[in-house]
Amino acid sequence: MSLNNTERNRVFILFIFFSLWVLVIGASLVKTQVVDYGKHVSTVQSQSNRIIELQPKRGTIYDCNGEILAISVKAKSAFLDNKNEAESDLIYKRILKSRIRLTKAQKKQIKKRINQGYKFVWIKRKITDSEYEIFKTINKRTKGQSSLNFIEEYKRIYPHNRTASHILGGVGIDEQGLYGIEYSLDSILRGKGYQAKVEHDARNRIFRLQNLSEPENGRDIYLTIDSSVQFFVEKELKETVETFNAKSGTVIVMDSRTGAILAMAGYPDYSPAQLRKTDPAVLKNKAISFIYHPGSTFKVILAATALQNNICSPQQMFNCYNGSYKVLDRTIRDDHAYDRLSFEDVVIYSSNIGAAKISERLGKRRYYDGIRKFGFGSRMGIRLPGEEKGILHPLREWSGVSLPYLSHGYEISVTPLQMIRAFDTIASGGFLLQPHVLKDIDGVLLKKPERKRILSSGTTLRMTEIMKQVVIKGTGKKAQIEGITVAAKTGTTKKIPRRGAIVRKVKYVSSFGGFFPARNPRVTMFVVVDEPKGLFYGGDVAAPLYKSIAEKLMFYLKIFPELDNKNEIRL
Amino acid sequence: MARTGKTSRRVTDTTAYAAVPNTKSGAFGVLLLLGVVTFILIFTYLSLNLKNIDFGYEMQDLIKHRKSLVTEIDRLKSQKAVLLSLERVEKKVIDELGYQYPEPDQFIKVFEDQK
Repeated sequence: MSLNNTERNRVFILFIFFSLWVLVIGASLVKTQVVDYGKHVSTVQSQSNRIIELQPKRGTIYDCNGEILAISVKAKSAFLDNKNEAESDLIYKRILKSRIRLTKAQKKQIKKRINQGYKFVWIKRKITDSEYEIFKTINKRTKGQSSLNFIEEYKRIYPHNRTASHILGGVGIDEQGLYGIEYSLDSILRGKGYQAKVEHDARNRIFRLQNLSEPENGRDIYLTIDSSVQFFVEKELKETVETFNAKSGTVIVMDSRTGAILAMAGYPDYSPAQLRKTDPAVLKNKAISFIYHPGSTFKVILAATALQNNICSPQQMFNCYNGSYKVLDRTIRDDHAYDRLSFEDVVIYSSNIGAAKISERLGKRRYYDGIRKFGFGSRMGIRLPGEEKGILHPLREWSGVSLPYLSHGYEISVTPLQMIRAFDTIASGGFLLQPHVLKDIDGVLLKKPERKRILSSGTTLRMTEIMKQVVIKGTGKKAQIEGITVAAKTGTTKKIPRRGAIVRKVKYVSSFGGFFPARNPRVTMFVVVDEPKGLFYGGDVAAPLYKSIAEKLMFYLKIFPELDNKNEIRL
Repeated sequence: MARTGKTSRRVTDTTAYAAVPNTKSGAFGVLLLLGVVTFILIFTYLSLNLKNIDFGYEMQDLIKHRKSLVTEIDRLKSQKAVLLSLERVEKKVIDELGYQYPEPDQFIKVFEDQK
C-alpha cells in the first residue's frame, strides 16, 4: 500500500503529535518520579504514616502467695470533641440528665472549657463499662459536629479494696505513684512509654507498625505481705480502735526468722482507689511514721543491754523505794508500789523505779551504745516512703534525768517498726534483722537482707524467759493463749502535751510487743493503740488485740497449740 | 551499462533485504522475551507487595486481637481477685451461710501414724 503525499503528511503530523504526547508524559513522569520524588514521598507519608505514643502497662503488685493486690486494666476515658459550642452544651446537658456521676469540680471544669472554646474537653476519665454504654447512647442521639469520643487508658484496680492500703499507697489519674509502695517503687512499676510508627490506608486501617523505641512495660513486684494475715490483722485492729474509741492504731506482724513483714496495718485506713477523697492524715503509714515514747516496752531494750553487759544476774535484787523515787528535781513513780524486786521482776511487773536503778548500774555510755545497736535513732530503709527515724538525743545532750527516764521509755521517740525490730532481735536469737516488704521483682528474688548479731544467745534465752513470765504472771496476762507460750512486754505511755498547751485530759499510748511460740519463735508482732478512751494500759488495750490476732494467725500459719489429748486424733 | 549497473545493485539490495527479516524477528523475539520477563518480574513484585500488605493487615488484626485478649485476661484476673477477696468471702460465709470462727479448743489435730 502506497500513501500519497497528503496521507504521508497526516501520518507525519500524527506521529509528531503522539511523539510529543509521549514526551510530555515521559517528562511528567520524570518530574514526578525523579525531580519531585522527595516532595511526593513526604506527602504520601504525611497522609498514611503517623507516630503514635503507646502507654506502658504499670506492673502488678502481688502478695507473697501470688494474690493480686494492685493491677492495671484498660479502661475508656470519655472526651468531648467540641466543634460547636451550642451542640456541646446540648451533649453536656444530656450527660447531666443521665446516670453519669460527676463531681461539682468536674462539672465546673467541663462547662468552663466548653465556653472557652477548647476543642478537647475531658468529660470523665477511666469510666466503668456501664458508664461507657450510657455515653454511647448519648452519642448516638447526637447529630452535628460536636461528638463524644473515647480514649483507652490504664486504670489501677485494688481488688482487696482497703486491705494493705497503707503499704500499697495509691496512684494519681495518670497512674503515677503518689503514696506507699506505688510511690517508692514507681520507677520499677511504671515502665517506659514508647513511640511506634504506623502506616495506614485510606480507611485508616493499619497495615504496618514499627516500634521506634523499645517497649518497656512496668515490672511486677511481689511483696512479703500475706493478704490473709493482713486481712485478719486489719479486722481485729479496727474492732479494737472502735471499741476503745481510740484515735488510731497500728499493728506489724513479722516473720521472726527472716524479718519479712507479713502484715502492716493502720487504722483509720482508706481505699487506694479513692485517694483524692481521703484526709491526708489518714494516708500516713503509722507503722513507720508514728513517733511516740515507747514507755515500758523499752524496758526490754534496757534489760537486754544490761544482761549483755553482764552488769547483773536475772535474780539480782533492786530497791524500788515503795513506788516513789526522786532523781534530782523529778520523781519517778510506779503504778504499784514495790519494796524490792529482782531484775526479772522489774521487767515482769514493769517497775519504772527498778528500771531506773538498773540503768544507773548500766551507765550512760553502755546504755546509749546498746540503744544505738538496736537501730534506734536511724532509719532502716524499708523501701516505704515516710519512714521516720525517731528521736534519740546524742549522749552529750543527756541531762541528769535522761538515764532514768530513758530506762522506762521516755526522752526517746521511736516508731512501731523500730520497736518490732528490737523485739525480733530476741526472737531471732540475737540477730538484728532488716525488716522488709519487698520479696522479689519480676520473679527475681532479692538479695537476702544482711543480719548482724548484737546479743548473745544466752542473753536472748534469759530475755525470752523473762518475757514469757510477763504474759504468765505479769502485766501481759490478757495475751495468754491456751497451748501457746507468748513472750512479750506491755507499754503504757502518757502523751506529753506541747509546751503551753492546756491539758484537759491525759492521753495515753498503749502498746504491746512480743513473739510466739516462745520456744521456737515464728511470729513477732507489735501493737500500738493511740489515745484509747476508758481503759488505757497496754495490758488492757493492746494485749487483748495481740491475743485475738495471734489466735487467728497460729492456725493460719499451722502453729498448733499444745492442748490436751482430747483434741488430738492419731490415724 | 548504466542499466546493468542498476540491475546488479538491485540484485545486491535484494540479497540485503532477504537478510533483514531474519535479524528483525530475532530482535523481536528478544524484545518479547524481555517484555515477558519484565512483566513477570513486575507482576511478581506487585503481587508480593500486595501479599506483604495483606500480611500487614492480618498481623495488625492479630496484634489487636492479642491485645484485646491480654486486656480481657487482666480484667478477668482483677475480677477473680475481687471475688476472692477475704472481705467478700467472709461476709458471704458468715452472713449467708451462717458459719463462724472456731474457738481454739474446737480445733482437733489429726496426726498420721508414720508406721
